[in-house]
Amino acid sequence: MTTLNWKEGDLAYDSSLFVRGKGHFVDDLKIPGTLYMSVLRSPYARARILSIKGGINGSELKAKMASVGEGADPSQTVSIQPVFATGYVNYVGEPVAAVFGDDRYKATDLLENVEVDYEPMKPVVTIDDALRLPPIHEGMKSNILVQSSRGSDFKDPDSPIVLEDTLENERVATNPIEPRGIVASYSDGMLNVWVSTQSVHSIKDGLVESLGLRPDAVRVMQTDTGGAFGSKGGLYPEYVIASYASMKYGRPVKWIETRREHLSSTNPGRGVRGKVKIFAERDGRIMGLKGDVLVDAGAYGTGIASFSAGFIAMMMTGPYSIENGYVIGRSVLTNKVPQGPYRGAGRPEASFFIERMVDLLADELKMDPADVRLANMSDKPFTSPLGMKIEPAKPFFESAVRELEYRREAKLTNGVGLSFFVLVPAVYPGESARIIVKDGMVKVWLGGNSHGQGHENFARKLVNEELGVPESIVTLFRGDTGMTLDGVGSWGSRSAIVGGAAIVAACRKIKRKVEKESGNYSPELLLSGSYDEFVYEEQKIPLNSFGANLATVEIGKLGNVKIKKCAAYYDVGRALNRDMVIGQIQGGMAQGIGQTLHEGLYYNDDGQLITSSISDAGVPLAEDLPNFTVKIAEHRSSLPHGAKGLGESPTIGVPTALIRAIEVASGKRLRKTPVTPEELIQ
Amino acid sequence: MSLSKIKLRINGKEIEAEVEPRKLLVHFLREDMGLTGTHVGCDTSNCGACTVLLDGRAVKSCTMLAVQADGREVTTIEGISSGDDMHPLQKAFIEKHGLQCGYCTSGMILTSFWLLSKNNNPTEEEIRKAISGNLCRCTGYQSIVESIKYGAQLMKEEEKGEQEIRVR
Ligand code: FES
Ligand code: FES
Repeated sequence: MTTLNWKEGDLAYDSSLFVRGKGHFVDDLKIPGTLYMSVLRSPYARARILSIKGGINGSELKAKMASVGEGADPSQTVSIQPVFATGYVNYVGEPVAAVFGDDRYKATDLLENVEVDYEPMKPVVTIDDALRLPPIHEGMKSNILVQSSRGSDFKDPDSPIVLEDTLENERVATNPIEPRGIVASYSDGMLNVWVSTQSVHSIKDGLVESLGLRPDAVRVMQTDTGGAFGSKGGLYPEYVIASYASMKYGRPVKWIETRREHLSSTNPGRGVRGKVKIFAERDGRIMGLKGDVLVDAGAYGTGIASFSAGFIAMMMTGPYSIENGYVIGRSVLTNKVPQGPYRGAGRPEASFFIERMVDLLADELKMDPADVRLANMSDKPFTSPLGMKIEPAKPFFESAVRELEYRREAKLTNGVGLSFFVLVPAVYPGESARIIVKDGMVKVWLGGNSHGQGHENFARKLVNEELGVPESIVTLFRGDTGMTLDGVGSWGSRSAIVGGAAIVAACRKIKRKVEKESGNYSPELLLSGSYDEFVYEEQKIPLNSFGANLATVEIGKLGNVKIKKCAAYYDVGRALNRDMVIGQIQGGMAQGIGQTLHEGLYYNDDGQLITSSISDAGVPLAEDLPNFTVKIAEHRSSLPHGAKGLGESPTIGVPTALIRAIEVASGKRLRKTPVTPEELIQ
Repeated sequence: MSLSKIKLRINGKEIEAEVEPRKLLVHFLREDMGLTGTHVGCDTSNCGACTVLLDGRAVKSCTMLAVQADGREVTTIEGISSGDDMHPLQKAFIEKHGLQCGYCTSGMILTSFWLLSKNNNPTEEEIRKAISGNLCRCTGYQSIVESIKYGAQLMKEEEKGEQEIRVR
């Protein structure tokens, strides 16, 4: 490790370095002797590989991907992705071979030396293809990767109002501005890996399993991570290949993704369709909901896709007290890059389905949408027939209507949308933290790894509160499996909850030790000693929270949507750092707008990716976005530090409010994101 | 591949170097000069993470070759302040939380540096327009716009301070 251009102090989170250009991103890491890796990728959505010559390819490295990270489902076997395509390629962008050069230009040149013969086959591109056509993988009976159901089937109630609709979210590329990247360096029997990630432990577990390594022979360290939004939580083929190559060549290997590779080969989110039927009374009460959810899993079942179907199904009644519910969720295989989590990971989809139906019901009954929502809420806790537990929704919703000034906006504006949701954070099974007190300093590591959220702020605050030491001597270090035995990751609106709880638990353990040694506790006693505690704090209660959004829009002659107002009112639990909370919400609101108006990842009938740049993919520009109005409610959770989740709230609540505003302003029923200007002026 | 000789000023320093003619300026800065504050976020000149100042003007260093910078003056994020001192824009981005993951930050600061060199009192709309060649996926831009406004104010205060010192 002496050959690194980074010292120990460079391993802490320190956002003040970014304004000086002194961050520590993975591509900034320089180790002498590094080989650069380039990946040859499939140009076909589906083809038989007749022969491959050159580079490292599947005839040499026969490893399979391990299912790790958010929503991992290790039970999948037949559809598991090989690290290199073997026998067949199943999506455009699938790794086929890898080459290595002394710099990135040479590595790219070497791609020409690889020869592959393909025999193209007819691809399965859409969800409908998947249901209709024979399975893309041998050994499967159909393209249905998983099928699960929530709730129990019920006899159609004889309700005066029965509404049915099919609703859809196009796939969205996660597009962090820093693409993925890794440096793997094998020496003296130890594989050291630096990676841009949300979870060093997922990457480590994945490498250990895929390459059959001993856990104590792999160390994964997080670099500064330039955004992730779900896409950097788990293992990818390139990480296995780079690690293998470093072991083979005895040199460090660096791979940095290009944006084009990101679009074709990093797991995108969304890509979900739902058919929903609701049964309602004339007073607005929904008596039952039936749903059929289809998730476009892409070509392999390694990631979150198989988990998504049931997860979305569970949340389909939203925050409403609907007594009867039955939802079937299926994930289907297509010849596209495997689906993964994107900020919200199933939550925005479920919310889109129920909120679109509630708005439809309001239109049918000519009732105010807020009143229809109120008719379906209780001031008691509710357990939905689909298995979701919610707190009393009504008091929060009533305050949201006031805080967002919905009634006034509805009078003033033609084109207002209101949404309401419950956020189910991914707290299970908990998180780890390690705290070392030495030489008068407090060093902290978390199992789940910050990638822009500023976890160092809540770490410092909680240590200060628990141990009474000044924040200035507390440092949070980037994720490092050499420092934490075990851990989960940063995703699913979980870190302030479970990471925070782990820090509190570790602090309390240390405090008890000081008390035991000295008979009492003081910060001075603490700092004069040495302590080292690791905790894995379990968390099984979901700690759901509510949120609401409001949007108002105007639509131009060409169908362009001008957002006048985009407002949020969320219960964030106790806000551990108000500025960070507001920042998270604003950033998420931008992504919610992006999904609604601009973002999509499109394939043609041959399964060719036709979205070719980050701008094409629809990442919003500063000019596209309004200023946001953000209000927060702080209803403490039952945890000692009072935190709840919030990171995904805006990507759940904004699309539903905004699409409703556009629907009202345009007078057109809208069923799909993104909404295009063409459909508004048709 | 034969190498080309180039001579340029980078962050005020005279530099002579030999580069492959095909090497992009951004790779020359990052890899040969060790100036890793200039980032790469795309391959289609959309994101602006690679923004530097070329003869005072913000350019995307992924859209030009290193040899095209021959004889010119390049300023990167590392060159807009020295030592522990910070440029007012750098201070403003910290104070107003104009960053989350920090990956777009150098490009944002250099683009706004250029904007403020032409217009020291930009409106919100002018700011949003000026940074629309720089993508940020984390912040939703609002805090970046506030940082730039605040940076403009700090710069004016600093200038005034300097004038007062000169007058005295
Ligand atoms: S790297 Fe994206 S514009 Fe230069
Ligand atoms: S702060 Fe992450 S891209 Fe701007």
